[in-house]
Amino acid sequence: MRSRKRIPVAILAVGSLALTATACSDDGAGSAEPLESLDIMAPFFSAVPPEEDDPIDAALSELAGLDISVQWVPNTDYGAKTNTVLAGDDIPDVMVIQGKDQAFVQTAEAGGFWDLTEYLASGDYPNLVTENPEVQEASSVNGKVYGVYRARDVIRSSVILRQDWLDNLGLELPETTDDLYEIARAFTEDDPDGNGEDDTYGMINPMWGGIGNGSPYDAIEVWHGSGNLWTEEGGALVPAFTTPEWSQALEYERDLVSNGYVNADYATMDPATWNEPFLNGEGGIILDVQSRAAQLVGLFKEQDPDNFDKYVGLAGQLEGPNGTFAMPTAGYSGFLAVPRAGVQTEEQLKQVLTALNELNTTEAQNLMNHGIEGDNFTVEDGVAVFDTSKQDFTDQVTGAWAQLGMNVAGYNAYPLQQPTEYDQALYQLRLDLQAEDLANAVFNPAAGFVSPTYTTNGAQLDTIIADARIQYIAGQIDEAGLQAAIDNWHASGGDEVTQEINDLYAELN
Amino acid sequence: MTTVLEVDREPGAPPSRTPARRRRLWTDAVRYRWLFLLMLPGVLYFVLFRFWPMYGARIAFKNYIPFLGIDGSEWVGLTHFREFLSNPDFPRLLENTLILAGLSLFIAFPLTIVLALLLNELRLQILKRTVQTLVYIPHFLSWTVVVSITALLFAIGNGPLWTFLGWAFGTDANFLADPDWFRPLILMQEVWKNTGWGTIIFLAALAGVDQEQYEAAVIDGAGRWQRVWHITIPSILPTIVVLLILQTGQILNTGFEQIYLMSNSLNRTVADVFDTYVYFAGIEQGAYSYSTAVGLFKAIVGLVLIFGTNWLAKRFNQQGIF
Repeated sequence: MRSRKRIPVAILAVGSLALTATACSDDGAGSAEPLESLDIMAPFFSAVPPEEDDPIDAALSELAGLDISVQWVPNTDYGAKTNTVLAGDDIPDVMVIQGKDQAFVQTAEAGGFWDLTEYLASGDYPNLVTENPEVQEASSVNGKVYGVYRARDVIRSSVILRQDWLDNLGLELPETTDDLYEIARAFTEDDPDGNGEDDTYGMINPMWGGIGNGSPYDAIEVWHGSGNLWTEEGGALVPAFTTPEWSQALEYERDLVSNGYVNADYATMDPATWNEPFLNGEGGIILDVQSRAAQLVGLFKEQDPDNFDKYVGLAGQLEGPNGTFAMPTAGYSGFLAVPRAGVQTEEQLKQVLTALNELNTTEAQNLMNHGIEGDNFTVEDGVAVFDTSKQDFTDQVTGAWAQLGMNVAGYNAYPLQQPTEYDQALYQLRLDLQAEDLANAVFNPAAGFVSPTYTTNGAQLDTIIADARIQYIAGQIDEAGLQAAIDNWHASGGDEVTQEINDLYAELN
Repeated sequence: MTTVLEVDREPGAPPSRTPARRRRLWTDAVRYRWLFLLMLPGVLYFVLFRFWPMYGARIAFKNYIPFLGIDGSEWVGLTHFREFLSNPDFPRLLENTLILAGLSLFIAFPLTIVLALLLNELRLQILKRTVQTLVYIPHFLSWTVVVSITALLFAIGNGPLWTFLGWAFGTDANFLADPDWFRPLILMQEVWKNTGWGTIIFLAALAGVDQEQYEAAVIDGAGRWQRVWHITIPSILPTIVVLLILQTGQILNTGFEQIYLMSNSLNRTVADVFDTYVYFAGIEQGAYSYSTAVGLFKAIVGLVLIFGTNWLAKRFNQQGIF
């Protein structure tokens, strides 16, 4: 009976091997001929990706002078897809790379991507010359720029408060970390909603993994002057969490928690439910990106259409006990890199860069972020007004094509029409706060350095510190325990990371 | 199945590959084509998802860079294994993994047998069927749902169970974040979700127990306990042993989803296991070779354990699985 079964198994095994082998040998090799089309791989967020005959595709192709063909990949699968594409034969001409992870860095250092540093600096492509050199440097790999970064707001962090609670208690928006502490206390102890019950607290903090990635804790630490992930001390770079300012910030955070001014489930709360306590009137302070304020206003509008403008207060970043420091974002979200497998000659590369340069014109920015003027949107008094009957198309444009936007030399597309005067004022306030905080922004001096040890062990190293931070705040460990965790970080590869970062710092500065 | 058995019992058939033998193979293949067809999806599954990936497992011995491909990447021998075994996290990961596996093996697994025996003792068929159906249901919920339910029940301030436990025992523990509560919660979830489903095989085995033995035992004056102890348990012992052997092979596979979803900064010291480590190292950091090495290490340990328990079972005069 056994040998009888073996035959079909063997046939199947051989058959499936043959199938897989043929499937893999797809022809995708490039040639030295000038490019006729531009194959791009990009993530999308919309419900459905644009089709090949999309009008935006046609308009952008005309601008770029090459037939653009985009391989759209759902954003959630993008990281995995990037690695499979890099390992395969069918490599596009331009790829959106979402982060400097191991696979990308190794590929780049093995020569898999064009080094664009010289080309971008040459000035031949004016729309690809960055208006923010710090961000371009942060997006580079040890001084080499492998891609045109996708620009994002540099200042997003803010303090969002229940304005009605502040008004009830006669308090002003906070300007310093001490103000914030006092407001958190008052929101907890002074019955800000006036219902006579002890049912409110100050700050809402969700569960957060990692360090230096925009958490409320990161913001408080930067405001205290700990630096942004790395900070210079006596000519060398040291991790921010080894500074006395960081310890001071942690004490501040621990006091907030131990006094009950923070939600009790701060270590386990799902970040997706961050708005709920704020909307329900349980907690009154959120330290997060400015756009959350606009989001909350929208939610209050549904709850209470008449008084929606009374609930949300937005303050900029706070002055700390050691000075004024603001926490910036990375300033970019990945970059568009050019793999050598598809683009083989310098002439082809220049064709690609010329096309990318065209994709950064104001005309292209309007196409990618709004759609077709006169079709799904019109321009009234200099702002874009969308045709609500073509919302599906608009969503597809903003959810997909906008992901190709780089905007490194500035973003000049029409501003969006705000639904009410209040929204307009809030939008203006965000811009004002951004300008104000940008002057105090503390950039990560090591953002452009890729340390091999960090690339392989970084997530675990970060987790050591992130966990120790929460354990200290919770009172689970004391100063000695915190120090033990930092020592553990050093022993688990942190020393190597520090060494590698400092070697690069000495070499490139 | 009966026909196949008959063919098996046919005498003669020498193992040599004579032309006659080959011809018979072919006629058999034709005769049992429908059985082979039935087998096809299962075989395909194993070839595609179990055997074919083994070819890729060699990246555990290479420094795999996607751009260079599996063949182009450089061989590094046992470097990744050495790195893993000398990792300062290794003892902690092993301890956490073994404790969780031990809880599952020594508490959850016997509970399955107990539940099966209890169900078997139920005489009212409608009650038995209803209970069976009810205890199967949790198996079909995903871990995400189970963990969300747990989070709701134990939420500080308004979780029903949290409120009840506070009222009954005066505790205000943060069950979801307290490291001391992590393992009990994981065990409770596992028992709730999988015990009912796990009874299926035992119930099948129990259905096969010779009823005449019970009748004889009743005539001899055996009580219920005695019947369970002297007839039921010995009858299903082979099944228990087989499942136990299979279970030990899984010892290092602590359900990734469940543990990953239940872990947080405050309980990570007890929640980090091999599976979450592979996820962090492999998926989050893209260290494919390294995490493959860890995965392979787990598989080898599992294999050794299966052989070990199988050998032990045979020493104690039980049937093993091979």
